[in-house]
Amino acid sequence: MMSLTVLQSWAVVFGLAIGTFLIRYSFIGLFADRDMPAWLDRALKLMVPAIFAAIVFSSVFMVGGQLAGLDQWPRYVAAFIASVAAVLSRGNMLVTLGVGMAGLHGLPWLVGLAS
Amino acid sequence: MFPSKALSSPPARAAYLSGVRDALLVIPSYLPFGLVCGVASVNAGLTTGASLALPALVYGGSSQAVALQFLQGNASLWVAILSGCVINLRMAVYSAAMASRVRHLSKARRMLVAAFLVDNTFAFMQERERTHPHDQHIVAYYAGTSTMFWTFWFLFCAIGIFAGNIVPASWQLDFAIPLSFIAIAATSIRSLPMCAAALVGGMASVLLFALPLKLGLIAACLAGLLAGLLTQTVSQKIRAQKS
Repeated sequence: MMSLTVLQSWAVVFGLAIGTFLIRYSFIGLFADRDMPAWLDRALKLMVPAIFAAIVFSSVFMVGGQLAGLDQWPRYVAAFIASVAAVLSRGNMLVTLGVGMAGLHGLPWLVGLAS
Repeated sequence: MFPSKALSSPPARAAYLSGVRDALLVIPSYLPFGLVCGVASVNAGLTTGASLALPALVYGGSSQAVALQFLQGNASLWVAILSGCVINLRMAVYSAAMASRVRHLSKARRMLVAAFLVDNTFAFMQERERTHPHDQHIVAYYAGTSTMFWTFWFLFCAIGIFAGNIVPASWQLDFAIPLSFIAIAATSIRSLPMCAAALVGGMASVLLFALPLKLGLIAACLAGLLAGLLTQTVSQKIRAQKS
C-alpha cells in the first residue's frame, strides 16, 4: 500500500471535484445562453461507449499494470457472460454484478469438480 | 439540501417524495461499487479525510474509480485528475439536456442542480418526464432522487473506507468495477457507430496501456471516438448512395 501526502490527497479531491463541477455546470450555467454545438454533441455521444469500453477492457485484461495471462481465464469468461446478462436485463446492475461475480468464482470451482 | 421554499407546496413535496421512493429501487446496486471505491481510496493512499471528501465532492463513481486506479499505478496527480475528468465529460451531454428545464431557476439553484447531476438522476428525470409530461415539479422530483443517491453513495463509500478490508481479497471485489461499467455500457450502445467506438476504444485501451504517463486511457477514448465518427460518416455516405 502506498501513501500520498495530505496536500497531494486534497489536490486530487479538489482537482477532480472542480473539473467535474465545471463539466456539470457547463450548459446549465456557463454557456446557458447557447445550445451545445452539433459537432460536440455528436462527439460526446460517441465518446461515452468508447470510455466505458476502455475501462472495461483495461480492467478485465490487465492485472496490476500487466497483461493478464491465460490462467486468468475466469475473468474473461465471467466478463463475457456478464455482458450477455447486461444486454438481456437491459443494463440491470444487480443482475450483471451477480452473474459476473458468480462466474468469476463459480467457473473455477466447476472446472475443479470436473477434473 | 435544496431550499425548503421550493418544497413548501404539497404537490412539490409529493414530487420530492416520489423521487425518494423511485431512487430506493436502484440504491442496493450502489453498494458493491461504493464499497470498492471506498477500499480503492484507502489503497491508493489517500488520507481518511480526503477519502471521505472524494465521494462527497466529486460524487461520480466511475471517475473516482479511474483516478484512484491511476494513483495506485503511480501515475502523476495531474494525469489521474485529467483521466477522471475525461470519464465525466459525458455529463456535458446531460448538462445540455437539463439547461432548458432549469432556465427559470436562480443562478444558485442552477449550481445546486448541476452539482447533483449524475447518470442516474438524469435517467430518472427523463423517465419521469415520459410518465408525467408537463410536470411543474420536475425539479422537486430531481431533488428527491438526488437526496437519496448522494446520501447512499457517500454512505457506501464510507463503509468501504472504514470496513472494506474486512472483505477478504480472495473475493476479488474489485472485479465489480468493470462489471458495473458493463451494465452501464449495455444501455449506452444504441447504434453501429457507437458499437465501433466501444470496440476500438476497448481494444486500444489494452494495446496502448504502455503509453508514457499513463495516457493510454485518454488515447483509447480518442481512438474510439475517431472510429465512431468514421463509421458514422461511412454509413451516412452509403445511405446517401442508396437513396
